[in-house]
Amino acid sequence: MSDQDRKKFVITRFDPDRDDEPRKQTYEVPVEPYWKVLDALNFIKDEIDPTLSHRWSCRMAVCGSCGMLVNGKPSLTCKDALSDYGDTIEVEPLSNFPVIRDLVIDLDGFMEKLHGVRPWIIRAKQRAAEEGTYRQSPEELEQFRQFSMCINCMLCYAACPVVANEPAFIGPAAIALGHRYNLDSRDEGNAERNGIFRGEGTVFSCSYANECSEVCPKHVDPAAAVNQAKINAVIDWAASFVVPRGGGE
Amino acid sequence: MAGAAHPDAMQPSRPGRTRTARPQRPPQFPFRGRYAAYTLFDITGVLYLLVGFVALRVVWALGNGAAAWHEVQRELTHPSYVAFHVIALISVVFVGVRFFRLFPKAQPPRIGPVKPPPQPVILGFLYAVWIGVAGLMTAILAGGIS
Amino acid sequence: MQRLAARTRYGLSEVIRHDVVIVGGGAAGLRAAIAAVEASPNISVAMVSKVYPMRSHTVSAEGGAAAVAREDDSFEMHGYDTVKGSDFLGDQDVIQYFVEEAPKELTLMDHWGCPWSRNEDGSVATRAFGGMSTKRTWYAADKVGFHMLHTLFQHSMRFDRIVRYDEQFVTKLLVDGGAIRGVVALDVREGVVRTILGRAVILATGGAGKIFPFTTNGNIKTGDGMSLAYREGVALKDMEFVQYHPTGLPGTGILITEATRGEGGYVVNSDGERFLVTRDYGVGTKAELGPRDMISRAIVMEIEAGRGFKGPYGEYVHLDLTHLGEQKISTRLPMVRELAKTYIGVDPVVQPIPIRPVVHYMMGGVDTDIDGATVIPGLYAAGEVACVSLNGANRLGSNSLTECLVFGARAGTKAVEFAAGSNDGSEAVLRRMGEEEAARIEALRGKKKGGEKLARIRRELNQTMESGCGVYREQASMDETVRSVARLKGRYADLALEDTSSVFNTELVVALELGNMLDVAEALAVSAAHRKESRGAHTRKDFQTRDDQNYLYHTICHFDPAGPRLGKKAVTLGTWEPEERKY
Repeated sequence: MSDQDRKKFVITRFDPDRDDEPRKQTYEVPVEPYWKVLDALNFIKDEIDPTLSHRWSCRMAVCGSCGMLVNGKPSLTCKDALSDYGDTIEVEPLSNFPVIRDLVIDLDGFMEKLHGVRPWIIRAKQRAAEEGTYRQSPEELEQFRQFSMCINCMLCYAACPVVANEPAFIGPAAIALGHRYNLDSRDEGNAERNGIFRGEGTVFSCSYANECSEVCPKHVDPAAAVNQAKINAVIDWAASFVVPRGGGE
Repeated sequence: MAGAAHPDAMQPSRPGRTRTARPQRPPQFPFRGRYAAYTLFDITGVLYLLVGFVALRVVWALGNGAAAWHEVQRELTHPSYVAFHVIALISVVFVGVRFFRLFPKAQPPRIGPVKPPPQPVILGFLYAVWIGVAGLMTAILAGGIS
Repeated sequence: MQRLAARTRYGLSEVIRHDVVIVGGGAAGLRAAIAAVEASPNISVAMVSKVYPMRSHTVSAEGGAAAVAREDDSFEMHGYDTVKGSDFLGDQDVIQYFVEEAPKELTLMDHWGCPWSRNEDGSVATRAFGGMSTKRTWYAADKVGFHMLHTLFQHSMRFDRIVRYDEQFVTKLLVDGGAIRGVVALDVREGVVRTILGRAVILATGGAGKIFPFTTNGNIKTGDGMSLAYREGVALKDMEFVQYHPTGLPGTGILITEATRGEGGYVVNSDGERFLVTRDYGVGTKAELGPRDMISRAIVMEIEAGRGFKGPYGEYVHLDLTHLGEQKISTRLPMVRELAKTYIGVDPVVQPIPIRPVVHYMMGGVDTDIDGATVIPGLYAAGEVACVSLNGANRLGSNSLTECLVFGARAGTKAVEFAAGSNDGSEAVLRRMGEEEAARIEALRGKKKGGEKLARIRRELNQTMESGCGVYREQASMDETVRSVARLKGRYADLALEDTSSVFNTELVVALELGNMLDVAEALAVSAAHRKESRGAHTRKDFQTRDDQNYLYHTICHFDPAGPRLGKKAVTLGTWEPEERKY
């Protein structure tokens, strides 16, 4: 029986009550061939160092809890196979976010940006349940379906160079979510959201890095949403001079 | 390396009740991995600023009579100007290609009943217009200068 | 950049006040919150969850949500399917109410933006599902839970009166003067303990699959709400009924939706045989679309008969989708394809997927009536944490998401009504109770003195639950599990913890969750050991038939320091008399 494979994990640690700054701590872990990065982190917590704090839940890449930097790149640790990496693996909290503890970041800023695009069905008149469902063709569903797949893992925010420099920027996932509602045939809130897209934290801060779409684990393609939103915001602004606002359809 | 991000990056409007560590920029930013191309893409803006100054100089000379015009023409044949323009041309092509790669993504899936044409058609059209207009401009300028 | 001074945490219990407090932010909790603020223009609702709502385990549901939608369907048919699926242990008044409310709830989801998959004419599409006599499962590709959760969460953002307390772990219910008065919660980020007062409390904390080693459930499914109620004298009902989902991935237990079978997938053994068709496992012509308990049993029997495959993650059979074609799989089952490729290295378009039964859902839970009310006035429960009982001894797939909506809404409305007529209780008493709870938690934080390790107790709990309370059960191993769990509870008191930190101490949270899991395991094992019949998901080798004469009742389990006390609660029968359950 050959020796179990071992890998070195260099993990960022930070306890605000004890550390001035985040520091690194190295662990040597016996690994199984089929493990994801998350399995190694859980092994460290269970068997080596119970003081390591990290978020995780579903372990099937749908809850969005376990986003971290692995060897400098934003990843979902429950999805990334250990076998894709070498013998030393560096795990850090997501970039561009304030760090609460170890690998745990503060996502309340993200929650505010999400809320800020008014991500719900806006209609002049809400339908009553008795009137039945809206008619929506498969083509109409396909218009926005891709942008509705975001699991809020925030890897796109960690990758975006604009988020690093402009605190007000709404950011890829929030813009994609707002755009998703703009494209939904049941929604009537385009004018309102396009105004938000042109306002503070404007979509025009995006400078075409495309990193958000490169790191997205769910193929949402937020870069497409942001750039489509730019075009829509301009068209909407121009149209507002020609077509009077106020008064829904 | 990458270093610290803006201290308020992703900060909520009311700071949390525990002390947090400062946000860090993506480690590969600005010169490693895919960020290298992005940083280059943004830096080319400096070149266009300089091209703008050159254009202003040429236009000023136009308004100042034939002697000034010929003077500027002579200056522009200097090797360093030529080198500068070659670099500017390369950067324009680089930016153009990168931008055109993004362009199909920015098309809405549908406008009413109309779908955008497939990606190769859009790209073909963009390049055709670009090369066509560039060719036309070159012909006019080459023909206009004797 | 000053360091936070060391704090004394005794007596640091901060008190917050709302009208209704909801514990848990999944489908049931969010739906209850929305119903509550819509029921009254003035009240404020606290939503207290140990995770941010979009992380709730609702997100992992894949297949669909059931409601009568087509012309060839009726409430009676949906009701009968559910009653029969429950092996006649479901309460028929509850089921009647459920099937009648279901279409309205799913329609509201459409109005709130849920991207239901559609037919060509723009109407909502439905698919076939296990145990359903016709197509009534509304679906959103194969990510219905994800879409429903995000729709509910985003819709809830419209209401300023829903105040969220994210990453707050409720450790105790406050009961005083004969009614619920609020909760005590650990703020995971800050490490302080707060009292959140409310005139009504709704538990919506989900199930407890993590007491088993192989489960579709995520890390957070630790039965917290069940334990909270259990400790305050509320009974846990029908705890022995644990649903094994037939098609989970070996090793990880990741869910492969029933919709794979709804869309025409085959389940085959190592001989390539569709054993659900060729052999008699009680599913009749429904074959792969039989109810989950029967299919899980069939798979276990095939493996035991030596017709399974052996792999590094144990034994399994195959789920074959190769005949469906890439087009159908990409449109209707895209997430299944991605899960199979990422987590077991198989592309279902060209290869069959290895699957085995894994723990998925708890039919049992906090004993409530049809309004979601418990015996403690003002305390409600809805969703998987509750046992209403809609699902009886076995749940039909796609009923539980609808259950969260129907009973979440009802509990929300009823909680508001109760809160309007209730009062606040004695603040001095409640403050003192909060401070006692804070002291208890503080004593646990970084508790160095002890000989037991967290991970070891958890592993042994998993092992004993698997061996005694698996798909097939018998008296001797169940009794052993009862004894093991009792011993583990004793050893839990001797736990040693290492993390003394305040800020985001997850070791402390895991330790609290383990305590909750032990409570749930105790109720489950004791309930299972006493029920000497086979009904629904509770299958025994030593009592193989259903015994309506002696066991047509809900098992009631009460907490007692000397050991759980069992009781009985009558099943509400109705239109349908118990009959032989054949498909």
